[in-house]
Amino acid sequence: MKKDIHNQKLVKEANRTMLQQSTRRHFLKEGAMGFGALALGSMLGGCFGNSSSSSANLFDATNPLAPRPPMFPGKAKSVIYLHMAGAPSQLEIFSYKPELSKLDGQDCPPSLLAGKKFAFIQGVPKMLGPQANFRRHGESGIWLSDNLPHLSTVIDDIAMLNAVTTDQFNHAPGQLLMHTGSARLGRPSIGSWVTYGMGSENKNLPGFVVLTSGGNDPDAGKSAWGSGFLPSVYQGVQCRGEGDPVLFIKDPKGMDRDIRKASIDAINKVNQEQYQEYNDPEILSRISQYEMAYKMQISVPGVMDINDEPAYIHEMYGTKPGEACFANNVLLARKLVEKGVRFVQLFDWGWDNHGDSAFNAVDIGLVNKCRKVDKPITALILDLKQRGLLDETLIVWGSEFGRTPMQENREGKKMAFKGRDHHAGAFSMWMAGGGIKGGTSYGESDEIGYNIVSGKTEAFDIQATILNQLGFDHEKLTYESQGRPFRLTDVSGKVITDIIA
Amino acid sequence: MATLLMIDFVQLIGRLHPLLVHLPIGILLFAALLRLFLKQAKLDSINNAITIALFWGTIGAIGSVITGYLLSQSGEYDESLISSHQWFGISVAFFSAVGYYLQKNHHAHTKIFMVLLVVLIFITGHLGGSLTHGSDYLTEVALSATKEKVDTRKAIPNIEEAILYTDIIKPILQANCYDCHGPNKQKAKLRLDLPDYILKGSKDGTIIDPKHVEECAFIKRLFLPLDNKDHMPPKEKPQLSKQDLDLLKWWVSSGADFSQKIKEINQPVNIKPVLLALKTGTKVEKVETTFIPSTSVSAADPAVLKEIQSNGIAVFPVSQSTNYLSVNFLAVDTFSSKSLSILTPISKQLIWLKLSNTPIADQDIKIIAELSSLTRLSLDRTSISDAGLAFLKNSSSLEYLNLVGTKVTINGLKQLTGLKNLKQIYLFQSGISADQWKELKNIFPNAYLDSGGYKVPTIKGDTTEKKTAIE
Repeated sequence: MKKDIHNQKLVKEANRTMLQQSTRRHFLKEGAMGFGALALGSMLGGCFGNSSSSSANLFDATNPLAPRPPMFPGKAKSVIYLHMAGAPSQLEIFSYKPELSKLDGQDCPPSLLAGKKFAFIQGVPKMLGPQANFRRHGESGIWLSDNLPHLSTVIDDIAMLNAVTTDQFNHAPGQLLMHTGSARLGRPSIGSWVTYGMGSENKNLPGFVVLTSGGNDPDAGKSAWGSGFLPSVYQGVQCRGEGDPVLFIKDPKGMDRDIRKASIDAINKVNQEQYQEYNDPEILSRISQYEMAYKMQISVPGVMDINDEPAYIHEMYGTKPGEACFANNVLLARKLVEKGVRFVQLFDWGWDNHGDSAFNAVDIGLVNKCRKVDKPITALILDLKQRGLLDETLIVWGSEFGRTPMQENREGKKMAFKGRDHHAGAFSMWMAGGGIKGGTSYGESDEIGYNIVSGKTEAFDIQATILNQLGFDHEKLTYESQGRPFRLTDVSGKVITDIIA
Repeated sequence: MATLLMIDFVQLIGRLHPLLVHLPIGILLFAALLRLFLKQAKLDSINNAITIALFWGTIGAIGSVITGYLLSQSGEYDESLISSHQWFGISVAFFSAVGYYLQKNHHAHTKIFMVLLVVLIFITGHLGGSLTHGSDYLTEVALSATKEKVDTRKAIPNIEEAILYTDIIKPILQANCYDCHGPNKQKAKLRLDLPDYILKGSKDGTIIDPKHVEECAFIKRLFLPLDNKDHMPPKEKPQLSKQDLDLLKWWVSSGADFSQKIKEINQPVNIKPVLLALKTGTKVEKVETTFIPSTSVSAADPAVLKEIQSNGIAVFPVSQSTNYLSVNFLAVDTFSSKSLSILTPISKQLIWLKLSNTPIADQDIKIIAELSSLTRLSLDRTSISDAGLAFLKNSSSLEYLNLVGTKVTINGLKQLTGLKNLKQIYLFQSGISADQWKELKNIFPNAYLDSGGYKVPTIKGDTTEKKTAIE
């Protein structure tokens, strides 16, 4: 009885909205323009038939997250993308530059400053030698600093990219470029593109999950995992590190599961009627999202709970159940991937090594940040390996840019701690698993880590490589928007074949 | 500017030649056929039509000769072939004009001229075809039974002594470039069949520069994206393999020498496996970890797929280019043996099966054993034991077997020794004891066995925080 009244109310409300929407404008538009457009469309369609070089929109509104085959057999089935927000100094972690130590404390030569823009450096800064010791590791002999003692043990599973470069030296645009292929807002993120292309292997879970740690979200905010012009169902679902993983995941007090189901059914029925009226595919997405939300109430609390993991796993990852931390997120990422989630995006905030505080010093704060991520990331690689999942899970570690070989001199003054300014010219990222050739190094920066010497790698190349490992040609995974097909890598991008097994 | 436009215009007219030539061929043949094979009674009624056909055929033939001459000025074609095509073409035009004159005056010898005309048209046509499609265009098909085009290069057993250009580079160029840049045709005035021509380059100058490998036209165009109009070979032609591209690049960067032996040239890492493959005459062995059979398969019945999906089981092709299927039980709430048997109808297509964390029992493996195409099977975190594994002893396609967290022991695995394709077996937290690994490796000498149990020891830094720069 209660249910019926509830339903009637909803239907009435929907009808009223609909009447409001149907105006004189609609009449004119659908009457005159509609026919005209129809005729023109069919005439033009014959002339400019869709070129076969790009995929038609893959969006299936009735089941937007149904698992879909990639274009060709990819090695990876899922991706865990670890983004260190703030841009850690490559010169204290991956880029071994002994020449830079010799220049330590000297004035920066004018040739390095000519025509360059910096976020904070003013006048003539001093050069800053590497603030960490480096060693060769593994059979591959890849250089790594002592800041990552655990990762050095799995270096032969990793492909280093030492000549990554970007054209953005501020955090938000830099992050957007890395994740959406554009420094400006509005483009879909890579996780959205991947779920748009491949759907989800588990119909009870979202295909794209985002986990943040470090106390803040990345500067680019939710746009870093937004769906842009792709149907909104493909945006990243952000889960929380503590408390309920998703807000309002529990049934409210006094409402049991059956009433919940009944109300969702009623809403969907109204939406269905709405859809028949307007044919807007977003309405179908909404219906499927209501159903997904209902299923997630059961599936998410289980998969997002790390308490049921055995002690040896907690020991391995260094997790702290109940706390919001990077280690917990890494373990969650493994659990999600195991359950068939396509793309798990982690952001860890606090890597902005300016030297304006101990937290941001390259010889204090950066060391501590490394300590917090070193063990869990190493555990992730080894844990995926022992579960037989490393070959089908691509791990990407990176950031939005790197840091200068010069010491930052904010406002032209010497700073309290050792730090480096934002630097777009050269930095490091790495990939592992998912068909990547371990123990390889690609690209080289100059002897002070300032510019690229060979193997230039841009955000687009990394995106193209990620898509390639999943089985997609980055030039053909497209979506029609505003009258033209868009793709993640826009007009650039080259798969980095040198690091592919 | 004006001359430039003029030349372009001339070339444009010239390029109408392939379009135009088919008109006189058709019209003249038609006229000749009517004239030669119709009975006299019928002929009388259409004699005028034949005359008209011969007239327009002649006009077409003259037009073809003019455009053909203009086209030949581009210099992209073999000169001797061009010259014979040209003279035969001119004779076609001439004899059709003569034929028209005789026909108009009802001359007795018209028939003989018609026969001559047909013969000339055939010869000219053939020569023209040789120019555009290559002189081996017809013979190629005739001989194709004995000649497989792709990747049947002969093995070079003594590869270190082989000459890079003659034995490796030349065959690549021959197979991929000579059609347009060879003895018959020289598009962009480029010939690649002899060292001197290669060094001379194209109409835009030299094409090879070992000092700027990536920038020189020869290498640059090969590596351009397929959609770029400057990409070589053209989009619609067969493309070079990655290995061939690497070899060509290697040749140029090593100085593009025509007499150096392989052993005299520095061999980068990416070239070594390619050379090894050439030595044995095999294709380069790619590390295949996609677990997809090389043979193709028919599509599965959509109705069956629908039924599988309705049970909450995820089923989808492993890629758009194949009918092989992947199945997982990640979102299955109520698992039963029955949900396994509905997979039997797709046994031919099903190659990847994930049953991780399901309450599958040893007896159920019997159903899985019927899925004979399976290459990947995940049974991790199930209660499978040796008794279940026994059913898999004939699943010879299996390449990946995940038995993490199961009760299987070494005795169970011994039943699988016949599975020669097994490449990866994951055995973390199974019933294998530490001292059995050596024995197990002997049983599966070609497989990667993962024991798991990796440790990331907690060290001092993991739990402490650095407070000052000096510590």
